[in-house]
Amino acid sequence: MAASALCWALRAARQVLPSQTRGYYVDWRMLRDVKRRKLAYEYADERLRINAIRKNTILPKELQEVADKEIAALPRDSCPVRIHNRCVLTSRPRGVKRRWRLSRIVFRHFADHAQMSGIQRAMW
Amino acid sequence: SNVLSTTKDESTTSTDSTTKVASKEGIAETPKQKLLKIIGDMKVEVTTKRKFQELKEQEIKKQATNEQEGLDSESSTFQNTAEDVQRSKPLNPELVQAASAVASSFPRSKEQAESELLAQLRRHEETTDKQRRGGTINIRNVISEMAVKRQSPAQRGVRISNRISLEMDEDGQRIKPGRSSSRSFDSGRYFCSVTFYLSEEELSSPTIWDLEFAKEIAAVTEQPPRNGFEEMIQWTKEGILWEFPIDNEAGMDDGAEFHEHIFLEKHLKDFPKQGPIRHFMELVICGLSKNPYLSVKQKIEHIEWFRNYFEEKKEFLQEI
Repeated sequence: MAASALCWALRAARQVLPSQTRGYYVDWRMLRDVKRRKLAYEYADERLRINAIRKNTILPKELQEVADKEIAALPRDSCPVRIHNRCVLTSRPRGVKRRWRLSRIVFRHFADHAQMSGIQRAMW
Repeated sequence: SNVLSTTKDESTTSTDSTTKVASKEGIAETPKQKLLKIIGDMKVEVTTKRKFQELKEQEIKKQATNEQEGLDSESSTFQNTAEDVQRSKPLNPELVQAASAVASSFPRSKEQAESELLAQLRRHEETTDKQRRGGTINIRNVISEMAVKRQSPAQRGVRISNRISLEMDEDGQRIKPGRSSSRSFDSGRYFCSVTFYLSEEELSSPTIWDLEFAKEIAAVTEQPPRNGFEEMIQWTKEGILWEFPIDNEAGMDDGAEFHEHIFLEKHLKDFPKQGPIRHFMELVICGLSKNPYLSVKQKIEHIEWFRNYFEEKKEFLQEI
């Protein structure tokens, strides 16, 4: 896992040469989530098409079974179901509001310092 | 002949601006000789205007280009051989004549002016000959010229114009580089536009180095935005800011008509006409025709993927 992540980081660094910029993801789990998102984007079309063959009542069943095996052969990280919306700043897996992509603690921190546009303390 | 008539008009307007002009137009003379006479008769005085000098420079260059065009248009073999012979020689005798006529009209340093004019004409001829022979791409030279003129107050152009400089001030002082910068810029721009016209065919394949050079120049010459409006303009060019009024199809419109999106049956030619596969593909096409988010290319790629997939599975399908 460490080796693959290093390879990933190396690939990113190689692309950025000659001006080397280094970015740090908050933790490895966030990095893995990033990888899953990238792969899911790459294989999205293929998965859609193979699933169109599978979820079908017209085509013969044997063909659908072959399509089943094909989609199982694709890399596991390419399915969009494995993506988990983590907090962008702290990588917290729970308590994340989708609109801001932030966990509840970070959201509260920024809102109290008036750094969230249009957010106000509720009072009614 | 059109060019000559326009030069004659310009010369007449310039004669209006100057006071001492004796326009002797002989009926039996050719238009070229008439022009030479007019130029020779025109005396440059201390109070000449900038426009007059610009006109003269334009006349010189137009004459030069006219000579070239005249030589090209005349298709007789004798003319071609004469042209080939003249190429080996440095300059056309008619150009020399024109240069001497112009130089004679200068108030002082006639020989110096003549030699410099001839040098300029020679350089001009060299570049046009190179381009005609299909020589190296002159983009870099042209861009460097243009860049130099934009950045510093026209180093090369200033030198040229200073050499042929006339006395502008009534005190008799030399022109400062600042004043002549605009003039040299104009002549330089004219010169650049001439070379661009001639080298249009060779602009089709600029090398990576030329592109990098152009990018470098653009990066160096750009100024930071002076106000909020310029900043917004810059952002719009980069794509950060949308264009208003908002166009819903910005970046999506590939110029394809609606019928290319909807009538996709023509892409089904390679499929069998009966059977479940055809049924399946017709459903696929029905779904694609209702999809507003994909471009025509993407839809065609979709169908092609299915075609390839079914091709690979053909032996398997025949067993069934």
